[in-house]
Amino acid sequence: LPCRVPPLLMPPSPQTRAARVRVGKGDKPVTYEQAHAPHYIAHRKGWLSLHTGNLAEEPGAAERAVEDAFLRRFFYGTFPGVLADEVVLKRRANLLVVCLVLARGLPPAKLYFLVGYAETLLSHFYKCPVRLELQTVPGKVVYKYL
Amino acid sequence: NLMGVRLAGSHVDTQESKTNPLVSISDEPEILYKRLSLLVKGHDKAVLDSYEYFAVLAAKELGISVEKVHKPPKKIERLTLLKSVHIYKKHRVQYEMRTHYMCLELKYLTSSTAAVYLEYVQRNLPEGVAMEVKKTKIEKIPEHIQEPVWDTLPQVEETEVKS
Repeated sequence: LPCRVPPLLMPPSPQTRAARVRVGKGDKPVTYEQAHAPHYIAHRKGWLSLHTGNLAEEPGAAERAVEDAFLRRFFYGTFPGVLADEVVLKRRANLLVVCLVLARGLPPAKLYFLVGYAETLLSHFYKCPVRLELQTVPGKVVYKYL
Repeated sequence: NLMGVRLAGSHVDTQESKTNPLVSISDEPEILYKRLSLLVKGHDKAVLDSYEYFAVLAAKELGISVEKVHKPPKKIERLTLLKSVHIYKKHRVQYEMRTHYMCLELKYLTSSTAAVYLEYVQRNLPEGVAMEVKKTKIEKIPEHIQEPVWDTLPQVEETEVKS
């Protein structure tokens, strides 16, 4: 008897291109986050932005999405070339915790200034306490080469 | 002045009365709750499991009796949207959002115990997890219902009407 798999559990077609890094010659370094396709979220990947907007019967999904987009562009610009991985945003009640993984490209004094600048600017902009949690790594953590 | 710094945390001045400004004692009768129901929602089942362990442990430490812990079935919200910005109606993308639930029911609390427990448990809510609280109050039966009406009516003398 043929196995009846419900249509939503079948693997996506090979033509989908969403959030996937295509296989190349083997010289492209790719992080764990980039290497996994979006259907691995909750299986092999976690979430980059944690808030209650997308839960059933909870309001505020669109507002959080817009804030997330702005925050990611903001951090991509404040730490040019130094961000080693995607920004992780966590919202606990009113508090916004931003977790960054940075490469060691800037001297610590400049890093501290940028952290303070980002925190004060964002707290005044979003009217909520913003906390930055940094981690520096020697270089981008490569999962595999594609 | 270094002497002051060293003695800052130590209990040198024990002559002052030790009253905690956060604790208040009032003479009003406490509101009693028959049941305190916490419904916790999240996207990640593992997070909810660890939060359940934490909440049950906190209840046991405070001496609150746990009635039951059950997990209502998850709800999946599915969307089918057009894949392209313009035309290409036959090519769509499907997304789904899963919400897992965990319901914790606690028995027989006073309002101050409930306030303390809820404050502790809510301050430690993980990100991405929402909570709904339902409290079932116990109230005294109002005086006008305590006795049946037919007992309180003045006794009417029985007059037989012969038709």
